Amino acid sequence: MIEELFYFIQQLLNGLTIGSTYALIAIGYTMVYGIIGMINFAHGEIYMIGTYVSFVAIAGLSMLGVEYVPLIVLCALVIAIIVSSSFGWAIERTAYRPLRGANRLIPLISAIGMSIFLQNYVVLAQGTRDLAIPPLISGGWKFGPDSFQASLSYMQLIIFITTFVCMFALTLFISKSRMGRACRAVAEDIKMANLLGINTNRVISLTFVIGAALAAVAGLLLGLYYGVANPHIGFIAGLKAFTAAVLGGIGSIPGAMLGGLVLGLTESFTAGYFSSEYKDVVSFSLLVLILLFRPTGLLGKPDVEKI
Amino acid sequence: MKKTNKLARIGASVILLGATALTHAETIKIALAGPVTGPVAQYGDMQMIGAKMAIEKINEAGGVNGSMLEGIVYDDACDAKQAVVVANKIVNDGVKFVVGHLCSDNTIPASDVYEDEQILMVTAASTSPEVTARGYEMIFRTIGLDSHQGPVAGNYIADTVKPKNVAVIHDKKQYGEGIATAVKSTLEGKGVNVVMFEGITSGDKDFSSLIAKMQKAKVDFVYYGGYHPELGLILRQSSEKGLKAKFMGPEGVGNKDISAIAGEASEGLLVTLPPSFDAEPANKALVDAFKAKKQDPSGAFVLPAYSAVQVMADAMAKTRGTDTNAIQIAMRTMTFNTPTGQLKFDAKGDLHEFSFVVYNWHADGTKTEAK
Repeated sequence: MIEELFYFIQQLLNGLTIGSTYALIAIGYTMVYGIIGMINFAHGEIYMIGTYVSFVAIAGLSMLGVEYVPLIVLCALVIAIIVSSSFGWAIERTAYRPLRGANRLIPLISAIGMSIFLQNYVVLAQGTRDLAIPPLISGGWKFGPDSFQASLSYMQLIIFITTFVCMFALTLFISKSRMGRACRAVAEDIKMANLLGINTNRVISLTFVIGAALAAVAGLLLGLYYGVANPHIGFIAGLKAFTAAVLGGIGSIPGAMLGGLVLGLTESFTAGYFSSEYKDVVSFSLLVLILLFRPTGLLGKPDVEKI
Repeated sequence: MKKTNKLARIGASVILLGATALTHAETIKIALAGPVTGPVAQYGDMQMIGAKMAIEKINEAGGVNGSMLEGIVYDDACDAKQAVVVANKIVNDGVKFVVGHLCSDNTIPASDVYEDEQILMVTAASTSPEVTARGYEMIFRTIGLDSHQGPVAGNYIADTVKPKNVAVIHDKKQYGEGIATAVKSTLEGKGVNVVMFEGITSGDKDFSSLIAKMQKAKVDFVYYGGYHPELGLILRQSSEKGLKAKFMGPEGVGNKDISAIAGEASEGLLVTLPPSFDAEPANKALVDAFKAKKQDPSGAFVLPAYSAVQVMADAMAKTRGTDTNAIQIAMRTMTFNTPTGQLKFDAKGDLHEFSFVVYNWHADGTKTEAK
């Protein structure tokens, strides 16, 4: 009986971690949608690039003889954020800005093209093989009876906390800062915001840069957690994160968090109590069901406030 | 003066062009189809270096029936959709011979095209029984079947490891699920307790729920049917989560990258592989030829791919032509002396015998035979 309880706790922790990883990527999706009403399909690739850049940075730093792990991770984080943000900025400049005002489908297609381009660019530059790094942050807590011990690793806790911090910081930024107010104005009515003297191009660029920076954080954390990367990880991660964003109500930042957690927990419990084979079937059925009854997602409020 | 010079140069280049066109027309093209890119490109490398070496050696010895062989690489990325595109491209390019494909779920749809178009295909790596089970005439293989490999693994588990609770996990693909099913039925036939039989999604990164489930079921042995990227992660996460079990996989997990992904956790992994043909004394000269090129002849598919080219070339020499129908009939009657031993094909196009050996995998990417 007690064994069952700890098994439940273990699956709960696993689900929360997977969910946080989805949420971290989903926040970037939902933010771009909230402001310009478009899905940035290249977001998953930014996450992939973030992982690659942090791996290269980690390898470079350890080659230089740096051994203090927090320093390595911090440097890798800064480098990954800078590189990924410039990619985010460049994507907006090349794939979105020239098409502003065009039919909504057109930037969508150019974003998909951008995603294919980035994937193949990394394939050519880095090869298609799995890149692996040894675990940097290992260890954790174990608890429960001898017959079944639940475990929580430091890495899982770090992921969970980071996701929460990112979500809170972003919510604060959007609701309290001057730039955040400009973001909300652009989200509401881009033409009107322009007339009122807001530099809308700058706001939109900033949105992409913040989204890309969050993807870089996710890229580093998940890279450290799983220890492997290949040029195709962006696709599945992007798909799952997009699902999480839609589930929670696209455009809403707490919604992305909630959607990610719901998705992660569903997957974890399906795999734990039923079978891994059906975890995607169950989670996507859930998505369909939720959208049937709440077409705007769990926390989505259309036409009131998009962000 | 200058003008004549120029004319002479043009004349010379025309002659040269003609000469290359002439030699071109005489070569026998062999398509080398397999993943050059994608997550399992390592295995594609093994196949390509083996086949290319065979083509080089045969050409050095004067070619086949006075013509040189020419290998052309086609990349299917181990993606079944792309494999059919590649097969059609091979048809359009007028190539009559194929070494490949590699992933079983690529080989099967591609072989439909080859059979229709009378193109002779020899795979050096696809082990799914389904490949040769459809009564096709043009499809051969120079490697064993999962239906042989499964029992070898199953018997080793039951007789040597003797675990209490076994979990059999697979990646839901033709190859992985096929071999996992074969292992499971061997184990159950021997009375071993299989407590879990489950599929995962290839490309997944997080297996923590699955691992917790195995911990709860008190699993002490895990057989994984699939490729190394997923097993590498399962090994890594299992050691982090403290799952104390021994792991085993088929030849699809046996390459150096599993050690790169799983690190220390890959020590002691059991793998069924074709025997180490590169350790045979008879292959010493060939192994040195690979090493001279800085290539690794120890990969599981290198020498089977060499044999694949050689059996085609030998059969072409025997029939004194390139008529694929005559060649496939001849191939079924001949005995071939290859680096992978004396090969004979049965009516289905499979080898009469092919043995798999159980190896212990080490964290540095090497292997030793398990006793």
